[in-house]
Amino acid sequence: MRFNMVALMLLAVACVPGQRNVKFQQYYAEGEVLYQQHCANCHQADGSGLGKLYPPLAKSDFLLNDTEAVVCLIKYGVAGEMNVNGVIYNKPMPGIPTLTDLEIAEIATYIFNSWGNSRQMVEVNQVSPILEACSKAP
Amino acid sequence: MKLQWSSVQAAVFGTVLLMACGNEKPLPIFGQRELVGTDTVYHTIAPFQFVDQDSTVITNADFKDQVYVADFFFTSCRTICPIMKTQMLRVYEATTEMPDVKIISHTIDPEYDTVALLHDFAKRLGVTSNRWHFVTGVKDSIYKIAQTSYFATAMEDKSEPDGFIHSGAFLLIDKKQRIRGKYDGTKEADVNRLIADIKKLRREDAL
Repeated sequence: MRFNMVALMLLAVACVPGQRNVKFQQYYAEGEVLYQQHCANCHQADGSGLGKLYPPLAKSDFLLNDTEAVVCLIKYGVAGEMNVNGVIYNKPMPGIPTLTDLEIAEIATYIFNSWGNSRQMVEVNQVSPILEACSKAP
Repeated sequence: MKLQWSSVQAAVFGTVLLMACGNEKPLPIFGQRELVGTDTVYHTIAPFQFVDQDSTVITNADFKDQVYVADFFFTSCRTICPIMKTQMLRVYEATTEMPDVKIISHTIDPEYDTVALLHDFAKRLGVTSNRWHFVTGVKDSIYKIAQTSYFATAMEDKSEPDGFIHSGAFLLIDKKQRIRGKYDGTKEADVNRLIADIKKLRREDAL
């Protein structure tokens, strides 16, 4: 009886969210690996940042307000002042031009949905035109 | 009778306490040693002169009667340095109440890491120069002291992603300028050991 209940619940969890959820999970899992590799040194594994040197990503207004800027700066880097949750940061962040559009979508999906952040997943077909646009920006 | 009991208890307690203290193994002393007459001469940190984030000249004299932790880094590094700084910040916070404990972080990229930049870096990290010196100086002097005094790797290497190779080591130096511990500044567990060893070293000095 108890086993049946557990099985039913598992089935419900597995089926209800459907296809989109599987894709989300894949993006999220890949994004986490890439985040640990490329971002966590400075922004920390828990997205908390470090002092006023490296801004937090967790519950960051900058991050949650501007998907396009975030996607572009992962690839092309960013310099100058940046206001995050009312604190001014000013350390250049080098971009990672070797990342593919898919990898950037995975990282974006991960950071937009971790540490209390919850936004929609960012798919590769959204990322490509954004990157195309900012690669042409002066 | 009652009195007797408590004195027995005190004696037992005292013995246990003594044993506990007496059994503490002292930290090792790193490097070569020489015998001069009947005295053993240990490896010590060579004389140095650098400038910190407040443009203050820092020499060995600033660490007289101080226990200190040293490391090598550069501000534009994105590989191990941010992790080292996260961990060193833990050391800084763990030693807030210890006025005889200091930290010195040497930049290995003095061309880019100017005094002004180090000042900004320290300020953004939220630390003060009376406990944590970020120093710069003549590049060769920094590399030389890293390699020959602290046994740490630090040099330029254009083939590396950030242009330098350096170790993530934290070195624990005692009041006689001897190396008493080497830790991996990128590993939380190793830094916990460092924090415990700082306390141990201070107890040793108190004897």
